[in-house]
Amino acid sequence: MQWAGALRMQSVDSLLPGDLPRQFANRDEMAAILRQLFPEAPGGLSPMQGGRRAAEKALAGIDPAAYGRNRNHLGGAVTRLSPHIRHGVLSLVEVREAVFDWLERSKQPKAAAQKLISELGWRDYWQRLWRQLGDGIWRDQEPLKTGHSSASYAAELPADLLSAHTGLACMDGFASELILTGWLHNHARMWLAAYVVHWRRIQWQVGARWFLQHLLDGDPASNNLSWQWVASSFSSKPYVFNRENLERFSSGRFCRDCALAGAGCPFEASYEQLQADLFPGAGPC
Amino acid sequence: MLRPVLWIHDEALGPTNPSLVAHREAPALFVFDRELIETQRLSLKRLGFLYESLLELPVTLRHGDVAQEVLSFASRHGADGVVTSAGVDPRFGLLREQIAAHLPVQVLEPEPFVVLPEPVDLRRFSRYWRRAEPVLWGRGSAAAPPAPARLWDR
Ligand SMILES: Cc1cc2nc3c(=O)[nH]c(=O)nc-3n(C[C@H](O)[C@H](O)[C@H](O)COP(=O)(O)OP(=O)(O)OC[C@H]3O[C@@H](n4cnc5c(N)ncnc54)[C@H](O)[C@@H]3O)c2cc1C
Repeated sequence: MQWAGALRMQSVDSLLPGDLPRQFANRDEMAAILRQLFPEAPGGLSPMQGGRRAAEKALAGIDPAAYGRNRNHLGGAVTRLSPHIRHGVLSLVEVREAVFDWLERSKQPKAAAQKLISELGWRDYWQRLWRQLGDGIWRDQEPLKTGHSSASYAAELPADLLSAHTGLACMDGFASELILTGWLHNHARMWLAAYVVHWRRIQWQVGARWFLQHLLDGDPASNNLSWQWVASSFSSKPYVFNRENLERFSSGRFCRDCALAGAGCPFEASYEQLQADLFPGAGPC
Repeated sequence: MLRPVLWIHDEALGPTNPSLVAHREAPALFVFDRELIETQRLSLKRLGFLYESLLELPVTLRHGDVAQEVLSFASRHGADGVVTSAGVDPRFGLLREQIAAHLPVQVLEPEPFVVLPEPVDLRRFSRYWRRAEPVLWGRGSAAAPPAPARLWDR
């Protein structure tokens, strides 16, 4: 079968020198040509495909009720619409209407779709803040509540994180997924960000820049302000998690094969203990 | 503007892009922003995803200095102005100004997710959501927020 991309050629006038190609025999050929066009851009293509057709297919498959029940779980019914929304392939209005249509069709009570609508609200909220703050989203919105000065956070990502070789099966899994696919579940983003900022004591901006290099939905507002929320420069306390939380919402898939599961897991502690270890100078929260 | 070209940017790559809706026949351009790609060290995944999204839109694709490319595209088509859609990224504003130094630029607003009756305090999501949620769900029904006071209410 001919690859859909070739069939989609629209009525664009003929190519002049410097116009980029719009027809490829298949995705591999496109990847090869993109490598020539953008030699500065590292890596390969994501398995997630761009385009309105892919977006509409994902939109047709949403299940707001299941989403409301299990969105925090890595295997939950999250929509994976973010790269399409980020680039306006789907507008937030279209997604909102699709959710309301689903509600009408399914005859479920309003509560069944409330969670998904409020998550769309988060997207709108961060965009409004970006309009207000401009490049200020790169600066701490409030002082950190960790008891550590901003200057005590490292300005570079260590090699073990960049190469997904920290030895922690969960964090290495998230880092590889980020680098290979350009998409992570929200909970994985929170865990990875918290690990980078609080356990490795790295500036949130450094982690945020790393995410933006890779995320297909990479959006400075949603990204940076979420990093600030984790770091505590845009929230009342730093976000941390423990092993029990990660194990539960990942169905134990990482801990099962982790060399540090038996001893040496840095997340194996109560929240009180983590608070005392990570933020000794922070005072009671 | 009688003969505009459209400048499509990476916040509006869908059929609801208001410039595409308003000018179905006008030539449209997307430029891969060389400086941004280099300074942010964007991965090929991101560019590939954009590229695939763009293949389903009727646009010419270029790579380089955005403002320069938009201006030479306009002259290639004998255009008297540029129409685009509003972008939130401050870089959009910068590029728009560079283009507007040479040609008129019209910026069209996309339909908003929610229209708030008055400005809200954005310091916390909860404050925004307290205003936005009833408007979203109201849609003219009982859950609508109280109407703003009219003169004769006082
Ligand atoms: C550290 C960190 C970095 C993040 N960086 C980005 C980013 O660069 N771009 C981005 O779009 N999101 C970002 N998010 C928010 C969120 O993780 C993703 O939007 C979500 O995981 C995308 O998957 P989904 O489409 O399946 O979302 P779903 O849960 O199915 O939600 C549907 C849509 O609602 C919006 N949405 C949901 N949750 C959020 C949220 N917390 N903030 C903003 N919008 C939300 C997205 O547009 C999403 O596509 C980040 C979160 C964290 C913790």
